[in-house]
Amino acid sequence: MDPLTPTREIYWNISQAGVVVMYLLAALALFACGHGIYQHFRMWRRGQPADRLRPIWPRLRSVLLHVAAHRRLLTERAPGLYHLALFWGFAFLLAGTVVVLIQADLRLPVMRGTFYLYFQSLTLDLMGLAAAAGVAAALVMRYLVRPPRLRRGILADGVILWLLEAILVTGFLVEGLRIAGTGDPWGRWSPVGHQVSLLAGLLGMGPGAIRGGHAFLWWAHFALSMLFIAYIPRSKLFHLLLAPANVYMRPLADAGSPRLVDFDRAERFGAFAFSEFSWKDLFDLDVCTECGRCSAACPADATGKLLSPMQVVLDLRDEMNRTRGASERVLAGQVVQSEALWGCTTCLACMEACPVFIEHVPKIVEMRRYLAMEEAVVPDLMAEALRSLEARGHPFRGAGISRTAWTEGVEVRSLPRGERGEWLLWVGCAAALNERNHSTLRALVRLLRAAGVDLCILGDEEVCTGDPARAVGNEYLFQTLARQNIETLNRYGVGKIVTVCPHCYNTFKHTYPKMGGQYEVWHHARLLAHLVEEGRIAPSAPVQAAVAFHDPCYLGRHNGEYEAPRRVLRAIPGVRTVEMSRCREGGFCCGAGGGLYWSEDRTGRRINHVRTEQAVQTGAQIVATACPFCMLMIEDGVAALEGGIRPLDVAELLDRSVDRSR
Amino acid sequence: MPDILVVATAPLGTLSRSSLELVAGAHAIRGPLGLGVTGLLLGTGPGLATAPQALHEHGVARVLRVDHPLLTVGESDAYLRALEQVARRENPEIILVSADTMGRDLAVRLAWRLGAALVTECSDLASADGAVVASRQVYGGRAVATLAVTRRPAVLSLKPRSLDAPAPDPVAGSVEDLSVELQQGELSSRVREVLREQSDVGLEDAQVVIGGGRGMGGPEGFAQLGELASVLGGAVGASRPPADSGWVPLTWQVGQTGKTIRPALYMAVGISGATQHVAGVSGSRLIVAINRDAEAPIFSVAHLGIVADYKEIVPALVAKIREMRGQ
Amino acid sequence: MNVVVCLKQVVDPELPAKDFAMDPGTQRQVREGRPLVISTYDENALEVALQLKDASGAGVKVLTLGAQAAVGDAIRLALAMGADEAVVVDDALAPERAGAEKARMLAAAIRRMGSVDLILTGCESADWVERVVAPLLAEDLGVACVTFVSRIESRDGAPVVRRMVEDGHHLVEVRLPAVLSITSDESNRPRLPKVKDIMAAKRKPVQTWAPADLVLTATSDPASGVEVRQVVVPERTSRCEFLTGEPPELVEALVQRLRDQKLL
Repeated sequence: MDPLTPTREIYWNISQAGVVVMYLLAALALFACGHGIYQHFRMWRRGQPADRLRPIWPRLRSVLLHVAAHRRLLTERAPGLYHLALFWGFAFLLAGTVVVLIQADLRLPVMRGTFYLYFQSLTLDLMGLAAAAGVAAALVMRYLVRPPRLRRGILADGVILWLLEAILVTGFLVEGLRIAGTGDPWGRWSPVGHQVSLLAGLLGMGPGAIRGGHAFLWWAHFALSMLFIAYIPRSKLFHLLLAPANVYMRPLADAGSPRLVDFDRAERFGAFAFSEFSWKDLFDLDVCTECGRCSAACPADATGKLLSPMQVVLDLRDEMNRTRGASERVLAGQVVQSEALWGCTTCLACMEACPVFIEHVPKIVEMRRYLAMEEAVVPDLMAEALRSLEARGHPFRGAGISRTAWTEGVEVRSLPRGERGEWLLWVGCAAALNERNHSTLRALVRLLRAAGVDLCILGDEEVCTGDPARAVGNEYLFQTLARQNIETLNRYGVGKIVTVCPHCYNTFKHTYPKMGGQYEVWHHARLLAHLVEEGRIAPSAPVQAAVAFHDPCYLGRHNGEYEAPRRVLRAIPGVRTVEMSRCREGGFCCGAGGGLYWSEDRTGRRINHVRTEQAVQTGAQIVATACPFCMLMIEDGVAALEGGIRPLDVAELLDRSVDRSR
Repeated sequence: MPDILVVATAPLGTLSRSSLELVAGAHAIRGPLGLGVTGLLLGTGPGLATAPQALHEHGVARVLRVDHPLLTVGESDAYLRALEQVARRENPEIILVSADTMGRDLAVRLAWRLGAALVTECSDLASADGAVVASRQVYGGRAVATLAVTRRPAVLSLKPRSLDAPAPDPVAGSVEDLSVELQQGELSSRVREVLREQSDVGLEDAQVVIGGGRGMGGPEGFAQLGELASVLGGAVGASRPPADSGWVPLTWQVGQTGKTIRPALYMAVGISGATQHVAGVSGSRLIVAINRDAEAPIFSVAHLGIVADYKEIVPALVAKIREMRGQ
Repeated sequence: MNVVVCLKQVVDPELPAKDFAMDPGTQRQVREGRPLVISTYDENALEVALQLKDASGAGVKVLTLGAQAAVGDAIRLALAMGADEAVVVDDALAPERAGAEKARMLAAAIRRMGSVDLILTGCESADWVERVVAPLLAEDLGVACVTFVSRIESRDGAPVVRRMVEDGHHLVEVRLPAVLSITSDESNRPRLPKVKDIMAAKRKPVQTWAPADLVLTATSDPASGVEVRQVVVPERTSRCEFLTGEPPELVEALVQRLRDQKLL
């Protein structure tokens, strides 16, 4: 070989026998890794079918976004950055190892020349440094900064970081000693290695010491690396392999809904055993890195309830791995405490925060299904709501008003009376049966009529869409109600629906189509934004106020609609929009979702009080929302805290701006 | 002269207040129907000695007394048998029984045994054209039915605290002791144990009642109500949800199913005001409602309303009253 | 042990006030178009029976009077909750009958069922609230009767029933067969049906008897000679005066009012 061509000897200072031992050990490590993966694979296979491989392109796009570019991880800036450093650092080092393999095993002379200098030496050295810095930062985070989301005292969490750092450090030392030992003329292209070689000189290491030290560190580096490989499927390092796959297999829409149960086929209901989850749900469990972002985002966890979404995942994961997926214990109740399951508002904050796209909420609902349908044991107030749904078609036991009471004073056509309209206004029980929301309904009808929208209602023929029953886990009752509604809507030939409530919206949009109910459905905030932008609603009278918008979870995270209500607010002259500390994707639930409007859990603080405080802290005079449940919860929070902030629906606010101009 | 038989008891050593209410009911119809009033005292123990006097003081001259050791509290079967024997001997035209937990069964079973006409749970008695006209709440207090009883004999049970006790009207009177045949062995049920749930002031007789509802959120809230009740010298009651949830004893329940109360002041705290509850408190002189929900139906029956969280009002009210009294 | 639970379907007692109306012809509440539910305490009675079934394998039969077409939901719910079978006396006039009349028909139906140890009813119906059915059934059948029972429990190995009274409870020993009327407490909150039981309920036996099948033996008729003159729905006009202000002012104002009324 031309001595002027930059390259290096691969197995300097390692005997031929040593290389053979290396290959044997590497094979052993890879087998251990592969075997470990296979063990998990067998557990995942116990799950129910789920189709998560297609469509390819949008899925690859999210891998690019969330694996390559770390978008979700970067929502927490510092940890995102150092993880990015160690991710790409190790990715390059892995690539470098592949180059070595190509050269050593395929005998292809790739490690030479400019490529050797710029990539294999300089880039890898710097990327290794980045990785080492990333790991160091992670160690600082874990041991010194100690954010509350990280669980304490887990030995493996620390061990993994120390292992990574040890691999990197031994790698640099090996490199440095090789440079020193061979007098590598290209040594300066590896800046860190070069510094190490200088250090060896300063320490007065002779050739013998260098060779001895090199051999020892080379084997240490190699052994640690093989340990690392074998450890991958046995620790949270598994996420190196699984997380990109899980990002690829993420739900592309309707992330919060559990699967539709086929009652003609199913004999038992809900997740009592691992085999009742989908294979994707089981796969999910092994992806978790215990970063705690889910629990840090969870409103139940934040207010001192028993629920921690990470703990739910870990309880399931540990039980699955302990029993190889064949647990005798009932998952809902024995493995995961029922009280934790009943604490979930299905707000999706956990799923939105999870950097590896674990789907907590559908699992929780799947377990609730067991409690609600097999055991029929549901917290008392929720049970009363379910009974009321069954007997009265609405969950508001004791509601002393009829579904059409709100129409007093506004003109709206009614399908049951034989009147028709292009759009059906789906009122929803939370709006119709709670007087606080009547002014929202009346404002909305005034706005839509003025904009020339041809509107009608179902009146007393409307029954609950079934959302609360579904969230509580009584899928049977949900489907009973859904079929009744679909039958009514199809009988009247309804085509376009505008809903007041995001929960109704979500159900129409994602679930009814699977049951034979296909409608064009809009949430009222989006329709209002559309009409404003078309000039059909012209807000003119100023509303001088700072307004904070509270994102309803079933509008925001469940359906990605963050902008429309804000567009409505910005269209109102005088309104100054401000944001709460937790808004949009990071919004904080009002506490009512998941059937928890009917919760009697008095543990810790009440979610709606905390949310109301967050609104008050913005200094806004008005907290706007676009959900009748959020409205009731925030009104309750304001009453309890005497917060000096006024909750209003976007429709009420817009109506004020239009009304006074008339 | 044919008679109205008033079935009176004195379980706590004196004539019960509901017995006096029966006397009031009897007085309301005796004149127009041309009937006399006879008091029948059933029971055992010291109360039977003084109770006839109390009946005389309220216009009942003739008092029959059955004192039998088996006529202890809660022994429905024994009372029924004793009452049946007396009724068959006396042949009254009308029998008035209090619709308390024992009387409400007695009335029904007695009517069946005597082949009599029956109206239960009356809230008012009057007469028209020789018939007894009884009023009673129906549909959870949403409506009031008026029923005419044209047949004799008739048994009517009167809901406690529906009528005021009669004004004193002393008459000279007599007491006849009657004996009845009662055997322990022929009774089909027997009280094994009496579990008394303490309350300092009887809910039904309290002049001030503080009622709590689901809005109290749990048993802890009722402790605050207890304090308020004690500074006002009153009793604590509850609507159905707290009683059903076990936050308070079942006996605290006020309303159609529970007790009917007519205090001078009823304070409804965290009570939404379902008709079943309102049915039991509507006779109160002053109703104050404290509720966070301005739309709660309780405000439609209250005289004074406060829209607020009770936690902001009740402790402050207790402190204020204590301060006024220099405690 | 054979337990019969008498259930009655009533118009939802939580019906909005606007939808509550009287039918002047029958002097009863208009039922048409209103949701029908099982009368409140009857569900508690069923729950007590089902707890007996869970504990000792009692057979639970539900019995109802009413138009067969109308009572389906109530029967299905009762069977889904766990009752073993149902008997419907197909009587369209049931909603208009007085309690005493219905008690006589129920007694005849129970006699027709053969051996029965325990008959449970709600302590009152949510509509007419007469509280007569349980004691009249007991008289008609010639068995023991305890009303306002919240639980069946055991004391020193013997079964006793817990009866609600004004100042607490009595534990009552009762000879079987017996009629118990059931009131609610935290121990007998009606259970939710399990989905598999809802499905299985469709296959449980439901017998339908005509009123003519019943042999009425009672000689006594407490309802005769009693006629409904009128049923009035009182106008409720709000007279509520709201106190306003911050909590300290509210307390001040309230204290003032209580003093004015000589309540302090």
